[in-house]
Amino acid sequence: MAESAAPPRARRVAWLAGDSIADSRQAPMRTILLFLAPALLVYAAFTIYPVLRTFYNSVHTIGPRNVQTFVGLDNFAALLTQDRVFWKAVVNTALFTVVGTIGDVLGGLLLALCLFAKVPLARTLRVVWFTPVLMSYVVVGIIWVWLYDYDWGLVNLLLGWLGLESWQQSWLGDPATALWALVVTHLWKWLGFNMIIFLAALHALPEEVLGAAELDNCGWFAKLVYIIIPMLRPTLVNLLVLSFIGKMMMFDLVWIMTGGGPLWSTETVSTYVYKRAFNWNTFDLGYPSAIAVLWFIMILLFVMLITRLLRSRDRLEF
Amino acid sequence: MATVTIEELSKHYAGGSEPAVKAVSLDVADGEFMVLLGPSGCGKSSVLRMIAGLEPITAGTVAIDGRPVNHVPAKDRDIAMVFQSYALYPHMTVHANLAFGLRRRGVPGDEIDRRVRGVAEKLGLSPFLARKPHALSGGQRQRVALGRAIVRDPKVFLFDEPLSNLDAALRVSTRNELIKQQHELGTTTIYVTHDQVEAMTMGDRICIMNKGEVVQIGKPLDVYRNPADAFVARFLGNPPMNLLPARLATSGDRAVARFADVTVELPGYPLAALKPYLGATVTLGIRPEDLYEAPPPALSVRAQQIATRVLAVEPLGAETLLMLTIGGSSQEIVARIGRDTALRIGDAATITLDPSALHLFDPTTTKAIARTA
Amino acid sequence: MRLWLNHLRRTPLVLFLILYTILAGGPFLWVMSMSLRTTPEIFDNPYALPVRLHWEKFANAWTNSNYGTYFWNSLIVVVTAVALLTLIGAMAAHCLARYRFRGSRLVRFVILSGMILPPQLLILSLFQILLDYGLYNSLAGLIIVYVATQLAMTVYILEGFFAQLPQDLFDAARMDGYGDFEIFWRITLPIGVPAIFTTITLNFIILWNEYLYAVVLLTDDEKRTLPLGIMHFMGGHQLDVGMIATGLIIAIAPVILLYALFSETMIKGMTAGAVR
Repeated sequence: MAESAAPPRARRVAWLAGDSIADSRQAPMRTILLFLAPALLVYAAFTIYPVLRTFYNSVHTIGPRNVQTFVGLDNFAALLTQDRVFWKAVVNTALFTVVGTIGDVLGGLLLALCLFAKVPLARTLRVVWFTPVLMSYVVVGIIWVWLYDYDWGLVNLLLGWLGLESWQQSWLGDPATALWALVVTHLWKWLGFNMIIFLAALHALPEEVLGAAELDNCGWFAKLVYIIIPMLRPTLVNLLVLSFIGKMMMFDLVWIMTGGGPLWSTETVSTYVYKRAFNWNTFDLGYPSAIAVLWFIMILLFVMLITRLLRSRDRLEF
Repeated sequence: MATVTIEELSKHYAGGSEPAVKAVSLDVADGEFMVLLGPSGCGKSSVLRMIAGLEPITAGTVAIDGRPVNHVPAKDRDIAMVFQSYALYPHMTVHANLAFGLRRRGVPGDEIDRRVRGVAEKLGLSPFLARKPHALSGGQRQRVALGRAIVRDPKVFLFDEPLSNLDAALRVSTRNELIKQQHELGTTTIYVTHDQVEAMTMGDRICIMNKGEVVQIGKPLDVYRNPADAFVARFLGNPPMNLLPARLATSGDRAVARFADVTVELPGYPLAALKPYLGATVTLGIRPEDLYEAPPPALSVRAQQIATRVLAVEPLGAETLLMLTIGGSSQEIVARIGRDTALRIGDAATITLDPSALHLFDPTTTKAIARTA
Repeated sequence: MRLWLNHLRRTPLVLFLILYTILAGGPFLWVMSMSLRTTPEIFDNPYALPVRLHWEKFANAWTNSNYGTYFWNSLIVVVTAVALLTLIGAMAAHCLARYRFRGSRLVRFVILSGMILPPQLLILSLFQILLDYGLYNSLAGLIIVYVATQLAMTVYILEGFFAQLPQDLFDAARMDGYGDFEIFWRITLPIGVPAIFTTITLNFIILWNEYLYAVVLLTDDEKRTLPLGIMHFMGGHQLDVGMIATGLIIAIAPVILLYALFSETMIKGMTAGAVR
């Protein structure tokens, strides 16, 4: 009476009907589809389809009332060869990203190390230092616009008290300083985030290794450089990539604080896309779509490059 | 109450080079306590899960009460299972855990409550009905897992190494509790374990598996005394049976075995049965408890003495284990002798062995050599 | 790690701690103080504490400056989106974590890769799509978009958690006679509450603060969410610093309240996407 695996008819019947099968790791296709359908539908309609449509748009000119004209790679060509604003935006974004990412990650590590040193009230400080992360960019942006104000902003006021009058600027109004002022604000918001992640990673370090280092007569600096940082490497790389991606896509902060000005000194690729789409004298969604596509490809390439460069033996997840 | 019949059951996991279970056949009688015993990875858990309906069957049949259940979902097989990790629902009270399976089957509310309380009473869980699993000790959790199975009143109980997470003392008392419950209920039980003590004390019959195949099925003492191959011989018994190479020869009209300058007679084996092996090397087995420091009076007249040297002495309190080398060779054996021994490391000792307790195994197939021609 | 203290001199460290705490928390206290002062008072001395607490400014902002409307819009949009996200995200995560089926790897890859898509890639097309379907400038449209944008992260976190639940539990439930949906409802969800809390927190904060999608997809003042409302107000009344500050406090009040009550959960929630 030996039977091999279920005859085809029985399998098909199980596909459609029945509550369960004689296998705890499987369910009838109908059930699986029911579980996945809502998520997949929403995702397909409002994420996958838009992405595809953006790619489609990028090779067209989309005028008012959805008049579409196929232009092939013209948009991309114009972008790469003629659009000075685009390239300025790319440079700005790259600067913002590189400096911001390094500052972000190092600053987060520094804060984490400070709290890791068993200072009193570490828990409370942790909570307070994390607060800026929870605030919307609107709140953060407006506060810092006020702080940077030339006349009554705290930054210039402090510089005045410290006797550094010559350093007082119109931080957001001067093309030379605007971008860096934004970087500082961005760091203020995000340092707490990286700090938490580093804290968790530091607490996960095995005590014995650090104890062994102590016995090997390692000073705190040596311990930091030779043991802690190498052991934190996966976390470091993870955060670098996360931070990098986040900054490359940054829109809110720039838009709220400077709108891309003054004189495109803070224009980022994302603000430029918005402007070309909604604040331009001619209405064309094709060109900004091309920008978005190109930028996405550039982000992907950068990420793959960085991942390859910094890849440790551990698998990278983000 | 039901019989369970497994025929040619096989399981092949995708990505595995070898089948995990190879053509296992087993008959469990109604009300029988059958133990599936074997080392880790031998396939016993896979067999159990296929009987339960949690794992798809690659080939073969499982039948409960004569009815093949290969494609019947787990919940319709009228089987209850106790898992190694107990699998208690952590967010439910003990009462809810016990009642969970009953609710599903449309048993009316007060009947459920009655049965739950009855089982809780039986297992001493009544004071804990309102607690959640995390507030219980390991032993109590185990009893809840058992209770969950009992309250369902199924045709078959399946146990997947339920005692391995308990400490030694608890294991013994829980073991006895399980035996008692099963006797009272009389439900057909299939119990998987790697612990031979559990198997020997609990099973009506034991089925020994190794590398996906059934090696031997039988009553515990029968299997112990007549192991079907060298693997079974060493798996049951602690310390395990001594196995050594020996050469068979004839001495007059009787067969004898020679190992390490010692010649012993083989009263358990007629010459005719050993014909194919004469002059060749076979594997000889003797259990440590069949080696004596001083021959007990009841031993047969043919008791034989061998000269040994003591390598190590392990006093265990109630008995002593000796590690010995035979004669001048480097062949080591283990003997289990009484607690009042004066032997020390390096002593020369004369050990008595009972030739009728010798086992012979084919050196290549490792199977026991038959005692009949 | 007392080893650290032995080596670092205490004073600079403590000084740094104090300074950074002022830096991190100070601005909020300042805004809170400004929200209770009138604008002339502020321009007189921006950094002084309020002399009289002008609570009426909040009522004023709520009704006259429409912050009440903005608040309710935000609440409706975010609560609905988070509820939907939790439900359909959990369903998808449970399915991916528990069942083997052909194509599960592909589905997982597709959904999780959504986490690295930049908004710019989606926003313009979503603009067109919502227009096409008459969902433009509607809270419903924004809700669906929000669900789509946060779905990948939600499924990522929940699936990671659900996959770690012991299979034995589900086997036992099977044997107890429970069907697939009941197992999801009665076992995965109740036991998965910690992870679900985490995603609820994360989604709530992110969506409460969200600006880009909202500013593109909503135009009516009546439909604006809080971030939009504040920026709109700022556009028209740039110098009314006092009122803007009041608006800011209205915007961050729920977040601060939740943070005060659930700080650990919120910290874990917000960082959950980056820690595995």
